[in-house]
Amino acid sequence: MADKDKAAKYRTEIQQMMFVSGETGEPSAETTTLIESIVQDQVQYMLRECTALATRRGSRSVTISTDDLMMLIRHDRAKISRLRHFLQWKDVRRSVKDSDDKGGEAGADVAAGDADLAAGVVGAGSGPGPEAGKKAKRAKVDLVWEVQSFFNEVAPQKDDVEDEEEEEMNYATLQRLKNADERTKNMTREEYVHWSDCRQASFTYRKGKRFREWAGFGLITEAKPSDDIIDILGFLTFEIVQTLTEEALRVKDAEDLYKKTSGGEPQNRLKRKRERGLFDPPEEAREPVQPSHVQEAYRRLQRGNSKERAMLNFTRNIHRAHLKLI
Amino acid sequence: MPTLERPYHARIHAQLPNPLRLRTPNPALSDEAMSNGSNNNNLGEGADAMAEEDPRAVLFRDHYARTEARLLALLGEGNMPNSPDAIDMETSQPANIPSKAHDARPTATPKKPARTIDEDDYGDDEDGEEEDDTQTSPLLSKSAANGIAATTIDAPSLRIPSLSNRSAMDRTSTPSSEPVKSSDDVRKKLQQDKTAAEEAAKRSFHTLFYTLENDRDAMLEQQKLDELDRQVETEMSGQPINVQSSGTPAAPQQGSLSTTNLGASSLTLKHLISRIDAQRDKVHASDAQLRSLISEVRKNRSKWANEERVGQEELYESMEKVLMELKAGEHAHPFLQRVNKREAPDYYSVIKQPMDIGTMMKKLKQLQYKSKKDFVDDLMLIWSNCLRYNADPSHFLRKKALYMRKETEKLVPLIPEITIRDRAEVEAEERRMRNGDVDADGAEDSEDEPIMASRGRKAPSKGSKGSGNARKAPPAGSEGTPGPEIKAGAPSLNSAVSNLKNEFLRADSEMEGSVNGFSTPPPGTLTPLGPNGLFRSGAHGSQADLSEVDGTGASVSGFTLESEDAEHDDLEYKTWKQVTKKDRALIAAERNRLFRDDGLNLDEPAILRTRAGMRRWLRHRKQALEEYSNDSAATTIDGKETLQATAGETLAEGMEGEEERQIPDYYDPVCSIPDINERLQWVEDSEGQVIQQVEEYMRIVPSGQFTAPESALAKKVEANMRQMQETRKICAKIGIVKQMQLQSQMYQNQFQKYDPQPFIEADIEPVVVSEDGAVMAPYVCRAALQRSVGKIFYHAGFEEFQPSALESITDIAGQFFQNLARSVGVYREVPKMKSDTPVALPNGNTTTWVPRFSQEEATLHALSANGVDLETLDAYVKDDIERLGTKLAGMHDRMRSHYAELLRPALDGNAGADGAGAFNDGSEQFVGGDFAEDIGEDFFGFRELGLDKEFGVTFSVPLHLLQNRMHNAYAAQNTSNVTTTGVLMEEPEKFEPVTLQSVPNQIGLVQEWLLAKLHDNSNEALVEDDELPIKQRFPKPRLPPTGKISSPRKRPLREQQQMARKKRKLDEEKEDNAGNGNGANANGSSNSKGILKPIGKLKLDMPAQKENQNVTEPEKDDGSAVGMISPESILAA
Repeated sequence: MADKDKAAKYRTEIQQMMFVSGETGEPSAETTTLIESIVQDQVQYMLRECTALATRRGSRSVTISTDDLMMLIRHDRAKISRLRHFLQWKDVRRSVKDSDDKGGEAGADVAAGDADLAAGVVGAGSGPGPEAGKKAKRAKVDLVWEVQSFFNEVAPQKDDVEDEEEEEMNYATLQRLKNADERTKNMTREEYVHWSDCRQASFTYRKGKRFREWAGFGLITEAKPSDDIIDILGFLTFEIVQTLTEEALRVKDAEDLYKKTSGGEPQNRLKRKRERGLFDPPEEAREPVQPSHVQEAYRRLQRGNSKERAMLNFTRNIHRAHLKLI
Repeated sequence: MPTLERPYHARIHAQLPNPLRLRTPNPALSDEAMSNGSNNNNLGEGADAMAEEDPRAVLFRDHYARTEARLLALLGEGNMPNSPDAIDMETSQPANIPSKAHDARPTATPKKPARTIDEDDYGDDEDGEEEDDTQTSPLLSKSAANGIAATTIDAPSLRIPSLSNRSAMDRTSTPSSEPVKSSDDVRKKLQQDKTAAEEAAKRSFHTLFYTLENDRDAMLEQQKLDELDRQVETEMSGQPINVQSSGTPAAPQQGSLSTTNLGASSLTLKHLISRIDAQRDKVHASDAQLRSLISEVRKNRSKWANEERVGQEELYESMEKVLMELKAGEHAHPFLQRVNKREAPDYYSVIKQPMDIGTMMKKLKQLQYKSKKDFVDDLMLIWSNCLRYNADPSHFLRKKALYMRKETEKLVPLIPEITIRDRAEVEAEERRMRNGDVDADGAEDSEDEPIMASRGRKAPSKGSKGSGNARKAPPAGSEGTPGPEIKAGAPSLNSAVSNLKNEFLRADSEMEGSVNGFSTPPPGTLTPLGPNGLFRSGAHGSQADLSEVDGTGASVSGFTLESEDAEHDDLEYKTWKQVTKKDRALIAAERNRLFRDDGLNLDEPAILRTRAGMRRWLRHRKQALEEYSNDSAATTIDGKETLQATAGETLAEGMEGEEERQIPDYYDPVCSIPDINERLQWVEDSEGQVIQQVEEYMRIVPSGQFTAPESALAKKVEANMRQMQETRKICAKIGIVKQMQLQSQMYQNQFQKYDPQPFIEADIEPVVVSEDGAVMAPYVCRAALQRSVGKIFYHAGFEEFQPSALESITDIAGQFFQNLARSVGVYREVPKMKSDTPVALPNGNTTTWVPRFSQEEATLHALSANGVDLETLDAYVKDDIERLGTKLAGMHDRMRSHYAELLRPALDGNAGADGAGAFNDGSEQFVGGDFAEDIGEDFFGFRELGLDKEFGVTFSVPLHLLQNRMHNAYAAQNTSNVTTTGVLMEEPEKFEPVTLQSVPNQIGLVQEWLLAKLHDNSNEALVEDDELPIKQRFPKPRLPPTGKISSPRKRPLREQQQMARKKRKLDEEKEDNAGNGNGANANGSSNSKGILKPIGKLKLDMPAQKENQNVTEPEKDDGSAVGMISPESILAA
């Protein structure tokens, strides 16, 4: 019962995320469970590592900070930049909300939704929130290894300076946005509503307690994480699902292609030979991603590179690969 | 064996008539002749057999034989005359036949009587016999060398006289020596072979590198051998040596000298020994000493010699040699000792007659062998036992056994065909012979037959009879298999006997008889003739080329005795192993002793270099060099040269009885002498001046070896670092300014000027080296790497870092680069592969073998194997260096503007847009100065304009002025923040200042005091405490947490001291200024110390100005009097 409970915790969210990430079919419960367990594994790993980092950093009471989390994904520059982007907009949202609260307006929901959108899409689903936010000063999220930490004085940020680096790192984000745009181009209104609903799927948003239990807060690390950390984890979990799904789709495509070229199953060929009729099910309703695809995708994403082994060359030590963050 | 033998003999008899029949005018054409020729151990004879077939071949063979003979002559003289003789012989043969027969007779007949007479000194004159060999006429030597030579060449007339002239003594001595010599010949030949092999091996020392891997085996085998010897010795000494002692009648019972195996047959010594033995008590020497003494005295007698036992000495001598030879072989190991029942439980059920080398040694020492056949049988028994027991064809021992058998077959011919007989018996027989000369053939034959069957034939007599025959026998025997070999003895003997009996028989016939014996294969022999013949050719080869190892012939000729063959080892290697075995074993044992139990044994003697060893090394080196220089020159010349060279080496040569070790130099590394570097050699020029060779090779290490080479990347990195330094400078100023804002007072040297120097890579100091190539100084290299790592650290933003971090990163980096280099090496050294198109080499040749990886490929592979690819490197350069540069520049700009921002309030706090208002506060010294000098800022740009040079002034404004403004501006900003919210009441009106005018309004009690005060203040208005400059205010009394007011005005110690000092100063100044001192004044001057005096003057007016401005600019108020500061005052503010 407990297992089932555990397994079922984020089914809809994962389905929605997968949908947003390009999976058009309805993935089976098995698939989502697999993905969920992968995500859970990753989150718990991150928390463990963060705790270790915090300890090493010498923080009193083992409190993980956002810096620790960022440290973990520091090598994935694109992801870091997206995360910064996300945090900036989160900041914006907060200030807007504050001012809105003062102004007595009830725009919290909109802002919240936009904040999640900001994770993946800033431009596409642009509503009033971001517009308002742009006026507010965007706080720059500094990374500890950035240039400003070289110096013991902090100079105020100039607003007009947009890091070229940021632009470049937005490339992946933009690519995703473009894909999303392509997909939503021909959507009907209802479909688009569904789509944007799905885009708001999150492991953490308004599910704080569930997420904390699920991720093992209190067991792995301190029980009361900061808001920021939960948000970052929410962002990262979304990224994980997205990456996994994309990779799995790629695997599936390759498999399909292989089947097609090598003949595949005979009945399939028969079907293909038939003319597409008017009442045939649409092409979209193809098979969803199977667990095997997800597994293969996971394997590919976990594949090590020679860099990790470099220092072990000419030794007989066995390289034990760590879990890789997706 | 005996079973095989008998029919064989029978056959020979049957064939005896054949030779007669076959002795046709040209016998060479017959098969017999062929085999005859080939039977002879000399090449010449083999050649002449061919000669009869083809005249041209004859010519060729002739030349070949001659050159060969010459070679032989050079290498060993013994065999020289053979071949020419032989060639001549065959041609002249038909003519000579009668004389030959004649010749044979006299030699045979007179000998027998002489024998008895001469027997005694037969052993003694080994030396003489040696001389004989060389001195006697060529004829004799010819005859000695070759059996057929008896029939030879030079007119028989010449020969017969010489023979007849000879005394009986001579006669007998020759024949008796002849068998010895014949076996001696073979032995000598073998010896030569051996030395030749050693030579070859020695030569190969220079060309091949042998590993030590077999040393352990050699050592163990040697140990086993020694053990065996010891065992045999003990067993022998355990039992009284009765066998021997019976030979010496004079020997008493006690373990006397005569029981030694000295063979007390020499007459002289016999008496001596018996004498000694008789008076044993009086001789103060141990048995062993005496024994060695005696053996020394009669060195030329072997220990086997025994007067009473004819032929024993030679036989045992040779048997022992053979046994030793076999024992020392590398495969002898398993056969050294009796098979242990524990190792092979069923061995003795399979093998009924066990035999091993150890047992044979024992038997040998106990003189149990009566004849060669006994001995050979035993030997063969060992091998056949092994082969029988280990029936599995793949068994490793089989190989060894086969090898050993082969070895045996090679060696057996060394043993003369002698049957030991008692002297009495021999004499009796000889007497009988003499008598029975006239006896009928058949009788003699029939008499001979049983003897042979029972215990072999009398060797000496045989030898004496058929001088030719005896000659021939050994070479025949060298053909290997024991069957034919024994056979060989028998027929010759036979024919000899018959020769004796029937005087009309000719040497020819006897020769052919023997020949016959060979050519007809005995039906029962183990060896078919085929292999026999093959083997013979092998033997030929070995004789023809002495430098070659004997083994070649055997192994090459394909000894097809059995389907399985003995081990085929690399010939050179095998030779090496054999030749050096003993020495290697010794050395290994030495080493083993020294390093037993995997540790250095301190008690063992150290391995030292010896003079002999060093000499040897030098000699070898010289030899090797000469060989190298002559490389293809004839070996003979080479040998001579080396001989000469070595002869003149040192006087000490050979004096210390150095034994030549058959091992290459590198086995004895202690004794090798390193070359003196030619640069260090003492060289003199023609005038006898020592040539300084220093200039030629000393050089200074070029600079820049240990600094980063200049490159675009390095330049960028350095620019980044410089940028960071600049930015840090600004940061430091910002820090100062911020500190000023917080702190209302500052000290002269509170702020260290931050002025980082640009990074300079120091090179090593000039170093003189004597060699080319890189300077390998690990610590310098490490330091250089550390510096690079430090630079990277700095470049990554760390201004400082811990040494341990630097160390560990340096280690890791070093490791990484080592890995990288090794990877490159691995890829570069991949075996070359064949390409289709030939590639030109730099030296002009072309080759089709190209490296597997090109330089770039190897580098890329190595990088990839170490987790680096070009994209990563590219990304690093782009992101972490170039972009960092732009970022740093941006940061620098931001910092600058931030700094300017911070400074602005001080500049234009109340100034107009043009900054002119900054001077309104009356601080005119502001005009003249650059207060930012201390933090290195050209604030007004005066320096930029060149004003400082124009006026020769230092535009220096005291920092405290700036600080003052900074602080006030900041405080104003901040307090405004705070106080805006907190103003609850209006400020009360200020008290009227006390002046002379207002004093009378006060109550009477204080008027006096106030007046005094006013007087002190030079009748000016008194200032309220609150309005005093902060410094001058009395600290407000504060209540301690206890709430008790303990003592008013308690000041911290430091402040008191300060006050005291100030007071002193004030007093002094008062004197100086002639009573011009009020508090404010003193303040001003003390503050302006170190600055210009005039400024101090100006300050005098300040209080007045200040008071004027008091109302308008309250925040500037106490600023002018900042000089005195105390913690309290700060707190109060």
